[in-house]
Amino acid sequence: MVTGTNAAEALALDNATRAAALADGAAQPKSGPWFLLRANLQVLIDELRADGRKVIGPRVEDGAIVYSEVTTVTDLPEGWGDVQDAGQYRLSRRRDRKLFSYNMGPASWKRFTFPPVVPLNIGRREGREVTFEPAPLDPPRLAFLGVRGCELAALGIQDRVFLGGPYTDEDYRARRAAAFVVAVNCTTAAPTCFCTSMGTGPEIRGGHDLVLTELDEGFVVRAGSAAGADLLARLPVKAADAGQIFRAAGAIGKVAATIGDPLPTAGLHDRLLAQFDSPQWAEIAERCLMCANCSMVCPTCFCSSVTQRSDLDGHVSTSERVWDFCFTSSFARVAGGNFRNRPRDRYRQWLTHKFATWIDQFGTFGCVGCGRCVAWCPVGIDVRKELMSIAPPLAACPETADCKPVAASPTEYATARIRSIRTETGDVSTLVLGDVDSVFVSGRPGQFAMIALPAYPPMPISISRYLPDGIELTIRAAGPATARVIELGAGAELGLRGPLGTGWPLEQAVGRDVVIVTGGIGLAPLRPLIDAITAQRPRFGTVRLFYGARTPSDMLYRTELERWARNSNIEVALSVDRGDERWRGPVGLVTQLFDQATWDGSRAVGFVCGPERMMQATAESLEERGLSDDRIFVTLERHMECGIGLCGHCQMGKLFVCKDGPVFSMAQLGQVFGREGI
Amino acid sequence: MTATAAPARLTVGIVKFASCDGCQLSLLDLEDELLDVVRKFDIVEFPEASTSRSPGPYDVLLVEGAISTEDQRREITELRSKAKTLVTIGACASYGGIQALRNWMDHDAVRAAVYAHPEYIDSLATATPVREHVKVDAELHGCPINQDQLRELLASVALGRRPQIREEAVCLDCKRRGNVCVLVASGMPCLGPVTQSGCGALCPTFGRGCYGCFGPKELANARSLADSFLVGREPADVGRLFAGFTAYAEPFRSIVTEMGGIRMDPTGPASARPARGGNA
Amino acid sequence: MVRDGGSGAEVVGVVEALDRTWFGAALGPETQARLSSLARVVRAPTGTVVLTEGEHTDDVSIVLSGRIALRMLVPERGQVTIMTVEPGDVVGWSALLSPHRATCHAVAIEDTELLALRGDDLRAMLRADHALASNVYPRVLQAVARRLAATRYQLLDLMAKESSSEVHPW
Repeated sequence: MVTGTNAAEALALDNATRAAALADGAAQPKSGPWFLLRANLQVLIDELRADGRKVIGPRVEDGAIVYSEVTTVTDLPEGWGDVQDAGQYRLSRRRDRKLFSYNMGPASWKRFTFPPVVPLNIGRREGREVTFEPAPLDPPRLAFLGVRGCELAALGIQDRVFLGGPYTDEDYRARRAAAFVVAVNCTTAAPTCFCTSMGTGPEIRGGHDLVLTELDEGFVVRAGSAAGADLLARLPVKAADAGQIFRAAGAIGKVAATIGDPLPTAGLHDRLLAQFDSPQWAEIAERCLMCANCSMVCPTCFCSSVTQRSDLDGHVSTSERVWDFCFTSSFARVAGGNFRNRPRDRYRQWLTHKFATWIDQFGTFGCVGCGRCVAWCPVGIDVRKELMSIAPPLAACPETADCKPVAASPTEYATARIRSIRTETGDVSTLVLGDVDSVFVSGRPGQFAMIALPAYPPMPISISRYLPDGIELTIRAAGPATARVIELGAGAELGLRGPLGTGWPLEQAVGRDVVIVTGGIGLAPLRPLIDAITAQRPRFGTVRLFYGARTPSDMLYRTELERWARNSNIEVALSVDRGDERWRGPVGLVTQLFDQATWDGSRAVGFVCGPERMMQATAESLEERGLSDDRIFVTLERHMECGIGLCGHCQMGKLFVCKDGPVFSMAQLGQVFGREGI
Repeated sequence: MTATAAPARLTVGIVKFASCDGCQLSLLDLEDELLDVVRKFDIVEFPEASTSRSPGPYDVLLVEGAISTEDQRREITELRSKAKTLVTIGACASYGGIQALRNWMDHDAVRAAVYAHPEYIDSLATATPVREHVKVDAELHGCPINQDQLRELLASVALGRRPQIREEAVCLDCKRRGNVCVLVASGMPCLGPVTQSGCGALCPTFGRGCYGCFGPKELANARSLADSFLVGREPADVGRLFAGFTAYAEPFRSIVTEMGGIRMDPTGPASARPARGGNA
Repeated sequence: MVRDGGSGAEVVGVVEALDRTWFGAALGPETQARLSSLARVVRAPTGTVVLTEGEHTDDVSIVLSGRIALRMLVPERGQVTIMTVEPGDVVGWSALLSPHRATCHAVAIEDTELLALRGDDLRAMLRADHALASNVYPRVLQAVARRLAATRYQLLDLMAKESSSEVHPW
């Protein structure tokens, strides 16, 4: 123990010892374990700052330990600890002088890698031209000091979400790459901790640049990366002795023993999903305030929304990504209503995502066991207790989505020009777009594009026809944004991203009969499918199209319907919900057109699009005609903001409608289709 | 307030009933941006700011204040017929405001306690939100309303888009800002979890519990929050926490009614001890 | 003899015609034969009123070809078509249920062929023969149930434009 000696001398002594040890060929690997005296911790901070990094670490502020800038060791919470439980958190004074003997506070590192507000792009509209300028990517160089095992695991989880799929978030990547991680092993635990159950701690095993374990007199240090080893070489460390290594390991071991295993997770995925109808969800909803605190403090929650801030003329608009939460009212809202209205459904969505469907999407649990949601819930809802109550243990499967062709992220937009607009019905028009990127033209029937106009929220619209040099979009003026797009007029530009999503699997229908059932504007995403069928008509058997509209004047593409019937050997049957005196055709739900039919559907493939309830009724009727559920395909609509599965809004159970769909087979949807509140 | 006419500006009227005037002031607080506003909107009626008046009709009518007298009731009905879009601004017009606390009390007793000659005061027994009298097309909440939301409303009306007012609890803004939760970390009562955001979590940012002045958020579970406040407090004290600027809005209203905390008869003895901590 | 609605010129027997309909197909050959003895083919050219709302229903009919519109009178709007009955489906089931009053108008909006079974005779036959009744009534019940389900979907007005009458801030 070096006391009262000149620090520089001590440094020289340590370095000499180490150099000597290395020269002796003593087997001390560059990565450690080394020992850093408490007095020398400042050197670590200084070296990081010398590298041009701002050091972010724990500080006592406003009655809690939060993460903000640290320049000297005196900024750190020496001698501070905390007492926490469900819905409660208080700082406490310890009798020792340790710097890291606190447990998780309300802040997480997500604040720096996935900030609450991030500008995405600036859209400008001058006359008919539109431009979209992505926001510059210039993240600050940071060093995170004091990252715990659960927090490292959380960073790893968000890495998978934002960087591991077919679409990535470049802002996240840049910020993550610009952060140096100094992890710290936990030497205390709170009653709210359960990292042991989630397999994320307490011991740190990877993902760090440096890791420290605190003892009274200093830190056992190891490097976890080349960058960490480089920094370590500049620190006044000496080889850790056996006693120090033993005490460090012991401290961590004691923490694990203290926590135990509060939430056995074996088989939790299946157990939890089997409890979709548990009455416990409603019971929790009576206590839950829907205030979003649990998600805001959670280090892995990643759902976001996009907001537009524009001037009064709509000429310049900044698009920003902000933290959002699946419990807010507009999260699952679409033009016709809201898919998740009841608090019990929203709570269920959050908990089953975190502990079950996250595994299907990303291969791990979404929870790291940090316990923040338990402590910071104003009414003290404890997810561990709830899970044990809903899905008690008796006695887990990753999936990946396929890659889709080129699509831009919400920071970029391609542009297209409107060549002409055709009015189809009272509130539906078709835009013919030219000057589109060639990628669009080779899209698949059933895919959609995200279209944008500065100052308006982006809209997902199905591509209703592919032309040799452009595409058509059939749009219903369901709200102010779509109404505005329809009013734009020929010659105006708009922003486009896509083609996105899965298409109709036409190849499964080759050699078979085809049944197409649709209502209202649902014919639009099916039109490219019909185009593809008519282009190679001999490859398919009997093709039947059943189309229902609200009234005769709400039917789309009337001339084409006649043409398909006449020229392409397609049996077209039309019905309306209410007829006028001139209507001599069937009146009633479109399924009536084949409910009483006698043709055999066991060799047929069905493609269905319309209001969800209609699609359900249709699927049932088609099954009665003999079609099997893995050959009935539907296309779904949900609230979409990014269109690429990174904002979380369009989730249905374990599926992202924008990325895994919007086309799904009935077999794929299984139980989630038509269930309330999914 | 009429500037030189640009083609086809929307006409705007701003009127006031029983209120403090602070919400109207938010428009004037836009300062430099006021010139942009005036370019797009022809403010034809705004007694607070200008002597030039207009009897209507108005494309947009902003209404501040609760309806507290018979004259006001008549006036709002007449104004409704002259307004294409009627927007209430502020807690008074949207929820009844502080004035609505008299809805729990004996009206005559209140009048007598406050005024030396109550016979001159012709008020209704209740002070109520505008929507209880006429159809309201939109509401801006807050006490006062938030300037950003006002700007967003004006931009939306000008552009014909749906206003982007996020429907969420104050807690989201508080956490986005990085505030430490006063409820959890110091036990201070705060209505943030059941209150609509819009102020940017102003009060908790300064270490003080939220009063609920933007009104209850959608699906506000006030009962659960009130139950958590009961630990260590009397029911009347908890009731008083909800008896603020938006007391009359459900579900706050039911909590106030059930738990008490408002002196029903202003001349009688106090019915509960003053509240401890927080909203005193 | 009956002209087959689907392929035009063919002429088939009543039993076979019944067997080709959704309603008749599930009844089995014995039941079909018994019912055919009561059946007669009725031609209803476009415009024929097959049932009048509120009046006595004489026959239970199965549509063989063409289309029947079910209509109800709404004084401000006149006769409103609620639904159509397609080939294979039943119209006039009220002939089996007291008080035997038609619940709506039924009008042929195309040249239609019906297989009509006289209500009185059919009820008598079903009262006397329980085995026959246990075959026929469930099928009638199914037809009514399907009509009910179809009516419910109509009621949902799934393709109506969204509108909300509540004040809701945005």
